[in-house]
Amino acid sequence: MTRAAVLAGYALLMGTLAPYLLARASWPHRAPTAAITAWLGLAATFVVSGALALSHLLLAEPHVHDGLVGLLTACGLMTGDPVRAASPTPADLAAVLLPAAVVLLPALVLVRISWRTRRARRRQRDMLALVGSPAPRYGATVVEHEVPAVYCLPGRAPRVVVTSAALRVLSDEQLRAVLAHEHAHIAGRHHLVRAAVEAFARAFPGLPLARLAREQTALLLEMAADDRALRGHPREALAAAMYEVAAGQTPQAAMGAGGSGSLVRIRRVLDPYPKPGRATGLAVVLTSAAAPVLPLLIACGPGV
Amino acid sequence: MRQLGELEAEIMNRLWSWGRPATARDVLTDINTRRPVAYSTVKTVADILYRKGMLRREKEGRAWLYEPTCTRQQYTAALMQEALGGNPDPAGALLSFVERISPGEADALREALRVAKRRGGAP
Repeated sequence: MTRAAVLAGYALLMGTLAPYLLARASWPHRAPTAAITAWLGLAATFVVSGALALSHLLLAEPHVHDGLVGLLTACGLMTGDPVRAASPTPADLAAVLLPAAVVLLPALVLVRISWRTRRARRRQRDMLALVGSPAPRYGATVVEHEVPAVYCLPGRAPRVVVTSAALRVLSDEQLRAVLAHEHAHIAGRHHLVRAAVEAFARAFPGLPLARLAREQTALLLEMAADDRALRGHPREALAAAMYEVAAGQTPQAAMGAGGSGSLVRIRRVLDPYPKPGRATGLAVVLTSAAAPVLPLLIACGPGV
Repeated sequence: MRQLGELEAEIMNRLWSWGRPATARDVLTDINTRRPVAYSTVKTVADILYRKGMLRREKEGRAWLYEPTCTRQQYTAALMQEALGGNPDPAGALLSFVERISPGEADALREALRVAKRRGGAP
């Protein structure tokens, strides 16, 4: 029972308090890639500790903690206990099914989201085939349209789309910086992170971690792509391109409260602040990897 | 399949630029000036486009006359609306370079750029 309480407390901490701390910290904007790992780590930790807390709560009787078999049994990975396996009671079933649901729910949502985004992208590609003209010089598809816009369709058969208006307002240098940003999204498979975080957010609506993770990773992915583009392109070019494209889209002024990350990004691109050292990044990544494992140790470790 | 997609574009582009109804034979004749395609292929793809709602058709004599249901501009507008219209449903189906911003934010962005420029080239 104590284990159940500790696990539940851990899940609660990861689901409510930790995301606020991470969202308010200043280092994530300096190390977006590490920060994305941290958000994914938080989500994984929440799922693991939540599932384990439920299973311990429902498995009222203390179980054996002898060696590997005991560990696996406790984690529900092995039904090695012949006495109980012989006649599973409804309570036993619930003890397996409810924790499994905590893990399966986001997984199923992810499958559904992946299927739907793939279909949406295929539709976009089909439409592009009719009205887009390939511009191999830029590795992009150009569409005649009076609003400046640049976006990418990631995934299989990826495309970078540029409107003719964007070509008009951007200088060659700016355009190349923007294209580097889009190609960074594709090469970094950023859509997979988006899908995973979206699945988590939809599986646990109302959870602060879910809302903040969705909001923050979207911005951090853009920053990661900005950083990648800045490796080979001048800061002013990328920042000016952001302004030109964003400002060209403003006529749709009916938008509600701002809250977009463009301003944060442009300031960040223009003001190079020191990146945290490699050690910091490594520490974040290691912590993110260790955090989901900790509840397993609490749940399955040798008897306390 | 990719081949059919290309042919769809070739057919639509011709009908869009001609701006008048045309038969599959008309389209075929024009495509054949560049490369050989079978009549049956063009006819099949035209029917696919008709079923997709991209073309309307009416019978004239023994042949079907095809005509686009929307202009190229309308079709492009629909594509861009779908891509950038802020419909978040297919989450992360595409990644946009910048989000739409309010006029107030646009001013703030311009100001940030101006300040940076005045400060002289950052490294």
